[in-house]
Amino acid sequence: MKGYGLTVALPKGRLLAEALATLRGAGLDLPAPDDERAMFFKKGDLALLLLRNADVPTYVDLGIADLGVVGKDNLVEAGRELYEPVDLGFGACRVSLIRQPGDQGPIRRLASKYPRIAELWLEQKGLSADVIKLHGNVELAALVGLADAVVDVVETGTTLKKAGLEEREVILKSSARLVVNKTALKLKAGRIRPLIERLRQGGRSSTR
Amino acid sequence: MRPEGTRTYLGDEARARETCVRRLSDLFAAWGYEPVELSALEPFDPAHPHADRAFKLVDKTGDVLMLRSEFTTALIRALLPEGLPAGPARFRYAGPLWLREAPSELGRLREFVQVGVELVGVSSPAADAELLELAWSALELAGVKDAVLELGLPSFVRDTLEAARLPQEATERLRRAVDKKAVPELAELLDAYGVGGRVREAVLALPDLYGGREILAEARQYALSERAKLDLEWLEAVLAQLPPGVRLAFDLGMARRYDYYSGLTFRAFAPSLGFPLLGGGRYDGAMVPFAAGFALGLERLLEAAGKAFRRREDRYLASSPELARRLRAEGKVALLAHARDEAEMREEARAVGARFVVLPGGTQEVEP
Repeated sequence: MKGYGLTVALPKGRLLAEALATLRGAGLDLPAPDDERAMFFKKGDLALLLLRNADVPTYVDLGIADLGVVGKDNLVEAGRELYEPVDLGFGACRVSLIRQPGDQGPIRRLASKYPRIAELWLEQKGLSADVIKLHGNVELAALVGLADAVVDVVETGTTLKKAGLEEREVILKSSARLVVNKTALKLKAGRIRPLIERLRQGGRSSTR
Repeated sequence: MRPEGTRTYLGDEARARETCVRRLSDLFAAWGYEPVELSALEPFDPAHPHADRAFKLVDKTGDVLMLRSEFTTALIRALLPEGLPAGPARFRYAGPLWLREAPSELGRLREFVQVGVELVGVSSPAADAELLELAWSALELAGVKDAVLELGLPSFVRDTLEAARLPQEATERLRRAVDKKAVPELAELLDAYGVGGRVREAVLALPDLYGGREILAEARQYALSERAKLDLEWLEAVLAQLPPGVRLAFDLGMARRYDYYSGLTFRAFAPSLGFPLLGGGRYDGAMVPFAAGFALGLERLLEAAGKAFRRREDRYLASSPELARRLRAEGKVALLAHARDEAEMREEARAVGARFVVLPGGTQEVEP
């Protein structure tokens, strides 16, 4: 953003605490997002934006934020042209194909909160099915017959088992990525490049 | 309702756009680039680089047409039936383009204007240097502050990846990872394909080969083949011919469309904008043996430009047609007043943005 040396976009929710710790550990003196209702924080010439996960790629791609942290799942789903130079390692999960146990019928309807990942998987398998975009409790769609299968996040798999569903195929392994705007990486290389180096060396361990 | 991703321009904005296109055209003309006018309707061709993203229309014959989505292809295709000129030929163009699939977001419209040039029939470092200098002059003319021209060499990426001797699909996946600077994915892919040793080292180095001129020396140690070395030598030869003052950056990991671009590619960045202002490169062999060019995005350029195009010439409000004619003969912008008396004329002058009112008795400046 204009008027700031560096603007960072971070996702609210489960990745936030680790993202903050990792970037701080790599020497980025980020403000503390201490006000729960605020979305925008500043400290020195740094600006911090708190966004929904899926919005991080948008803000970074369009150059409002110079860099951000986002799960690989949301990054693939966004389908945007970003640099993704570092796998930060935390926030590990997988995006999988989930069906009712024993269900071998054809997949005609596929429900997911990741319609793009679902489409890419279908294309890769040479299948065609209608993809239904849902916003939450996606497993339910497979249980009640809204869809023949769902594509959803699996962290440990226990929730899934409890729901009486089966993980059939891992489509994507996800973890948090550092994403960088294509212009910002070049024009602010003096700041971003060393940050990338430190994050690759394992960020927090190399705190000075 | 206005279709998504389109704009209309009025007033100051419209004038700034017109001025910008005119000044750029004048600049290109001063370098000997000749104007071309190309049809906005083209026959649909599945081999066109934007075949999927172009707007389509159905002709009365039932044939599918598409709206012009790129000037380079349109220009070269217009040249081919005429027969290519023997030596270097310089062309310039300006006009709207349409892309159906472009998301209409900040800086991305579905209808947008490009101004650009193509230098056809010659392939040499001197020709590349000419285009770079011209691109830089265009940015200077627009008063873009702190612009940087970034040079890439997709052929270097191609030649490095080809050293891994992988099937086309695998090479393409590596290319995409390089272009996104996705080092984690790149390492994973190299593991999966069993690429090791110097090739692995060179491929993994590609994404980070960006920065200042020092990058070229670093790249030389990763040049695996004779061709990769020649790519770098070409780039050095281009740099030797550039005038001082051109702010340059390098990204030798830039790997977009490297089956199309045969040599140098370049883009321009400005700190105030998250997108490149211009883009271009050499595409020898893609459609004709030797050709290179670049295009500026008008909307983006104006966003990054200084006030260069915003200024309007002083306007004179004349009380009679005779006075107005005399002022125009002097080269001034003169408007004929419709007011009946002096007081009304001052009102009118403010309304039409005239700085002066001209009466038989003399010229008076109007307080804004």
